[in-house]
Amino acid sequence: MKKLVVSMTLVACILLFVWASWADSSKIVRFTEAWPTYIDPAIAADFSSSVSVANLYDTLVFPTYDGEVVPHLAESWEVSEDGLTYTFYLRKGVKFHNGEELKAEDVVFSMERLLTIGQGYSYIFKPIIEKVEALDDYTVRFQLKKPFGPFLYALVRLYILNKDEVLAHIEPTGEYGAMGDYGKKWLLTHDAGSGPYMVQEMRLEEYLHAVRFPEYWKPLDPDAPSEFKYIGTTETATVRTLLSKRELEISDFRQPAEFYEAVSKIEGVKVAKLFGGSTFFCMMHNRKPPTDDVHFRKALAYAIDYDAIANQIFPGARQAQGPVSFILPGHNPEVYQYRRDLEKAREELSKSRYADKLDEYPVDLVWCAEVPDEEKVALLIQANAAELGITVNVIKTPWMKIIEEVATPETTAHMYLIFVSPHYAEAGSMLQSKYHSSSCGTWEQTEWLQDPELDKMIEDAIATVDKEERFAKYRKIQEYIVDLCPSLFLIDQPENYAYQDYYIDWTAAERAERGEKVNPVMGYNHYMPDIRVYPEKREELLKKK
Amino acid sequence: MRRTRLGRWWYKFSRNPLSVVGLVIVAFIVFCAIFAPWVAPYPEHAGPYVNYGEANKPPSLTHPFGTDVFGRDVLSRVFFAFRSSLLMGVVVLAIVVPVGVTLGLLAGYFKESWIDILIMRITDIFLSVPPLILALAITSVLKPNLTNAMIAVSVMWWPWYTRLVYGMATSLRNEYFVQSAELIGASKFHILFREILPNCVSTILTKMTLDMGWVILIGAALSFVGLGEQPPKPALGTMVADGAKYLPEYWWISVFPGLAIMLIVLGFNLLGDGIGDLFSLEEA
Repeated sequence: MKKLVVSMTLVACILLFVWASWADSSKIVRFTEAWPTYIDPAIAADFSSSVSVANLYDTLVFPTYDGEVVPHLAESWEVSEDGLTYTFYLRKGVKFHNGEELKAEDVVFSMERLLTIGQGYSYIFKPIIEKVEALDDYTVRFQLKKPFGPFLYALVRLYILNKDEVLAHIEPTGEYGAMGDYGKKWLLTHDAGSGPYMVQEMRLEEYLHAVRFPEYWKPLDPDAPSEFKYIGTTETATVRTLLSKRELEISDFRQPAEFYEAVSKIEGVKVAKLFGGSTFFCMMHNRKPPTDDVHFRKALAYAIDYDAIANQIFPGARQAQGPVSFILPGHNPEVYQYRRDLEKAREELSKSRYADKLDEYPVDLVWCAEVPDEEKVALLIQANAAELGITVNVIKTPWMKIIEEVATPETTAHMYLIFVSPHYAEAGSMLQSKYHSSSCGTWEQTEWLQDPELDKMIEDAIATVDKEERFAKYRKIQEYIVDLCPSLFLIDQPENYAYQDYYIDWTAAERAERGEKVNPVMGYNHYMPDIRVYPEKREELLKKK
Repeated sequence: MRRTRLGRWWYKFSRNPLSVVGLVIVAFIVFCAIFAPWVAPYPEHAGPYVNYGEANKPPSLTHPFGTDVFGRDVLSRVFFAFRSSLLMGVVVLAIVVPVGVTLGLLAGYFKESWIDILIMRITDIFLSVPPLILALAITSVLKPNLTNAMIAVSVMWWPWYTRLVYGMATSLRNEYFVQSAELIGASKFHILFREILPNCVSTILTKMTLDMGWVILIGAALSFVGLGEQPPKPALGTMVADGAKYLPEYWWISVFPGLAIMLIVLGFNLLGDGIGDLFSLEEA
């Protein structure tokens, strides 16, 4: 008996050793990002979650780097004259990770689940979807309540789940009646997708490890990653050490400028600048004194030293022009841009009702603890505001706590420094997720703007099917918002990633280097099938040491 | 008469050159802290000020300790940080010593009565929690700022004085002078504060000087994790933490504040040893 135990242990050790050395030379891509990450498509909405679901699940249409959509699970589609009915013809023989075939009823189920749970990207679909039905196993029809111009672009956020598998993993005691918890608990750490990768192990707060799905319907390049691991940290020293030990292929983009300068000196490491359509905001609470006063907000908008942010804190960024990034289709290039002008700032401040009692109204400014560079911006705003006599308290808060406190207007602080990316590649996405009342209480809108007029304008614009007309409406909304000044529009920010240029080919980085557009849909620049890994080159670098 | 006594003290104190070094260091730090606005080359850098054009400059004549990632002069900020550090030490001791000593006297004098049991068991409870953990817990519940950091450190520090004085009071209560005072009907207040306390003063004073360095160190630890003075006000712990992200390229951002912490603690420890020597020689 004893012998057996000893030999079993020995075998286990050898296996472990073999596995460890194999894992080391496998085609793995590892990247870092701030936790939390939700791989449940009905909850996923932030950056790391979007990256994860894009690789684990499939969608009907797929976003290209040029900002268009191409057939994916849907081979073709038809749109009715009035723009209210979309019929999609599905690809046959697409398999889920458990081997079952993807059918029209799975699409229906996925949409219903998303709308019922009402989190994540559901707000895009909630106001427009009337009904989804499966006409047969491979035909699905969406009936809209009203025309929605960017519907096809929005569909890149409908991730298709395996109905049977989700139903098999429902916890009966849940908030969704007959559906129990709708599989929320199980889907927190498992996937029910058909995407090119499937979850191997998900450790909350630590990492997500996914491996290639061997039966994926679309053949992947042999040099595409065989697995990827997303590591939940942005701690600068850790990220840097991992990079130099070649245990990390792509860094997160939340590092300070000093980090990029230092790691670009490591052999084989390069820094990619991707303008992904994200804009850096200083969001202001529009329902809490003193930032509820438009003149107070404008005074701040005129006081900020935008050049210092765009050139010194985030080298390579551009001062934002309104709430929509300059690379997004539908951006208004003529909208007013606030510049630093202390005289104008004082003039605006004197018009505000808090002008002579600034001492009584200190302003809390929250920055995200995981992004060290935000502290620089926070202190800059503090210094700029001090020139006007406004006291700003700078508060460092972890991302998870920010998400919690912005849920109600009472717990939301005056100002937050937050990066926001569009969910689909059009100005409308940004305008809706940033300023429509439906996004109040999420981290994307801590303004609590709740302007019925603006809501109507946004709804009207995205319901416009004609592209030119829609874009004209987008431009008008941007003017309206800039005049309202609900947030400080700081910069259009390139996401800076340090990556192992010597042993991986990263399509998005190469496109950016050639000056071409990168994917404006958040998460899709990390689409693993578009990456190539060469482990033997990695070995080469390791041997040199 | 007084002068010669002072002279004798000084003679004893200065027999150990290290004590003098400690005194000089402490005097220097106190001077820098009080006159920070005049001593610091860029006093405005301790307030809401940023200048990203001057960020991360290595030590030079214009910035002897270099500049941090916000373009602020590290030397000026160190001078201003001395203020909050010293304030922390002084205020904490000013709270902790009277409270701790009084409780210790009471418990020690009324040994084996319910007062003793009540006070000492509470003291034991506080002593059983690791001090830094307790302070961290308190500051994270309250709003992080200097006042709350001082409250937190005070809460964890008083039991040590209670313990110290308790030990001394329990032995002193059996001395003849205390018993004589009791016999002639002196008030409890008189016995506690006029008979017993003066005999503890030398030990308490020595502990205070030694503690000053430790309190400042704990304060720096709290500000290192972001629970002390809030930006832009400088604190030594915060400065070390900020700079740690940029090691080793921009070493000066955290190394100099780190050295400053070392200097303060060293200074007060040497001074404390000197004062301890002074009293032990006095008694000998």
